[in-house]
Amino acid sequence: MTLLELMRRNAWRKRLRAVLLMFSVGVAFLIYALTASFTAGSQGAADASDNLLGVFNKAGRGLPLPLAYLNRIAAESDVAAVAYTARMRGFVEVEKNVVVVSAADPRAIAAASGEELGLTPDLIAALEKGGDRVLVGRALAEAQGWSVGQRIGVTSQLMKADGSRNWSFTIAGIFEGANAGTDTYFMLARYDAINAARARDKDTVDAFVMRPRAGVSSGVLAARIDALFANSAAQTKTQSEKQFLEAFLRQYADIGLIVGLVVAAAFVTILMISVNTMLFAIRERRFEIAVMKVLGFSGERIVALVLGETLFIFAVGGAGGLILAKLATLVIGPEFGLVFGLLVLLKSAAIIAGLGLLTGLLPAFSAMRLPIVHAFRTR
Amino acid sequence: MTDTTEQYIALAGVRKAFRIGVETIPIFSGLDLSIPRGDFVAVMGPSGSGKSTLLNMLGGIDRPDAGEIRIGRSRLEQMGEAARAAWRAHSMGIVFQFYNLLPMLNAAENIELPLLLKPLGRRERRARVDTVMELVGLAGRQRQFPSSMSGGQQQRVGIARAIVADPDLILCDEPTGDLDRTSANDILEMLSFLNRELGKTVIMVTHDPEAAAYARRTLHLNKGEFTEGTSR
Repeated sequence: MTLLELMRRNAWRKRLRAVLLMFSVGVAFLIYALTASFTAGSQGAADASDNLLGVFNKAGRGLPLPLAYLNRIAAESDVAAVAYTARMRGFVEVEKNVVVVSAADPRAIAAASGEELGLTPDLIAALEKGGDRVLVGRALAEAQGWSVGQRIGVTSQLMKADGSRNWSFTIAGIFEGANAGTDTYFMLARYDAINAARARDKDTVDAFVMRPRAGVSSGVLAARIDALFANSAAQTKTQSEKQFLEAFLRQYADIGLIVGLVVAAAFVTILMISVNTMLFAIRERRFEIAVMKVLGFSGERIVALVLGETLFIFAVGGAGGLILAKLATLVIGPEFGLVFGLLVLLKSAAIIAGLGLLTGLLPAFSAMRLPIVHAFRTR
Repeated sequence: MTDTTEQYIALAGVRKAFRIGVETIPIFSGLDLSIPRGDFVAVMGPSGSGKSTLLNMLGGIDRPDAGEIRIGRSRLEQMGEAARAAWRAHSMGIVFQFYNLLPMLNAAENIELPLLLKPLGRRERRARVDTVMELVGLAGRQRQFPSSMSGGQQQRVGIARAIVADPDLILCDEPTGDLDRTSANDILEMLSFLNRELGKTVIMVTHDPEAAAYARRTLHLNKGEFTEGTSR
C-alpha cells in the first residue's frame, strides 16, 4: 500500500456517495467542456487566422464591393496573395437545410487560404475542370451524406439570369480543412460560372481575402487598404478572419460572457456540494483521523491525504465528463462549432486540479486541526 | 517512585486539568513517575483517576499544563505538534481497547500504516508486515478485513501495528477490555513476550487485576496520585 492507495481507499469507502459526487463533478465538467468547446470552436473562430485579412463593404457586410478593387489591392506590395468571394446562401431539398456556397477563383483562393482550407493542387485542378464543379467541405459533406461525383441541387436567394433560383453542381472533391477547428461547413464554387449566371450584382464580390507578406503587420496593412478606398463610393472595412468571426458572433450576444456565467454557476454549485459532502465525510471519520494521528501521521500528511482524496474524486469525475464531452464533439461534429482541442483540455485539467484542491481545503484544514483527545472523547 | 537501572520514562511535577464550561477539574497536581527501560507496568485505578490522561501524555497525544515528561532523550512537553507526531511514528506504538483498525484496509494494510511514514520500499514494508504478523500468530491472514475477524484477531492486528515500526515503548489502553478470557490471556502473553524477549517497555492501563498480573509491577492511580505499587 502507498499513501496514494490510502487516498483512493478513503475516497471509495462510501461508494454510492463517491459515485454521486463524481457524477456531479462529471456533469459540471461535461457542461464546461461543451461550452468551452463551443467558445473555442465558435464556427471556426478559434482557429480562424489573424493573418488572413478580409476586405468588406464598410456600409454592411452583406453589401457588394466592385471586383475592380482586386487590382488595387493586389498592387499593394505587402499583399502576398488576394482572392475574392461571393457568398450565396441557399438550401438543399428542404428550407431548413441551409447551405452556403462561396464562389471564388480556384487558384486565387488556393493562394490566399488554401493552406487553412486544405485545398490541394488536385482539388483545385478538379474544380477547374468545369463551371458547375464545387468543392465541398468535409463537415458539410458528412452532414449531407454527399460523395465525390454526386450531382446536387441548391435553391438559392440568388436569382439566375433566366429567373431560376435552382443551381446544380457536381461535387469535384472534398476539402478537409487544416484541422478540426477549421470551418468546413460550406462549399466552394467557381466565381466565373456563378458570376456569369446570376441576374444581379455581376462583377461584384462580398469580400476580398488577402494574405499579408511575412512580417507585415495585419493591422497596418488593413488600415492602408481601407485608406485606398476611403474616397470611393463603396468604402471598405478590412478585418482579420478572427476579428470578423468574433464580431459576427457578438451580433447575437456576448457568447463568451454567457458561457462564462453558465460555467461559473455550475462550478460554484459543484464546489458547494462537494465541500459539504467532504466536510461530512471527514466528520464521520474524525475518530479514524485521530487514530492515524496517534500512529504518527502529521497534520500536513492528513491535509495531503484529504486533498488527495478530493483531487482523486475530481480527477475521476472530471475525466469522465471530459471524455463524454469529447465523444459529443466527435459525434455532433464541428458544424455546431464544437472544437475540443488541447487548450480546452489543458484548461479543464487546470480547473479540475484547482477545484479539487479548493474543495479539499476546508475539510483538510478541519482534519488537520482535529485534537486527538477530543476526537477520542467524543466517539 | 522506584528508579532502577536506567530511567527511561520520567515524569516530574506534571499538572493537568480539564476545563468543562467554567469549571476546572484537576487531574494531576504534580505527578512524578519513573520507569526503567524494559519494564512492563500495569496502571490500575477507578474511572476518572487519570489513567487514560496519563497514557495520552506518555504517548505525546496530550500535553501537560505544567511539569516535565521525558521519554528516553525526548522532552515531550517541549515538542510541537509536528515533532510529537514524528516522535510517535518512530518511538511509540499503541494498542487500543477497541482495536481502532481502519475498516477499509485489510489486516496487512492496517499493520503497514505506520511504515508509510518511514523511508522504506514496498518490499521491505511487506517483509516487516509479514514478520510481525507471524509473530502475533496471524500468518496467512494478510488479506482479511477487520470486519471478518474476531475481537482477539483484531487485537493481534492492533499489536502488530503497534510493533511493526519497532518502537521502544508500547502503550496499551485496556487491551483486553473487549475480549473473552482466553483471547485476553493470549494477548497478555503476547505483550509479556514483547517485553521479555524483545525488551519493549510496556505500559498497560487496565481495570482487570488478572491482566495486571502479567506486568512486572502495578501502579495504582487514584485521584491523580499513585497510591501504592506492587512489584513482581
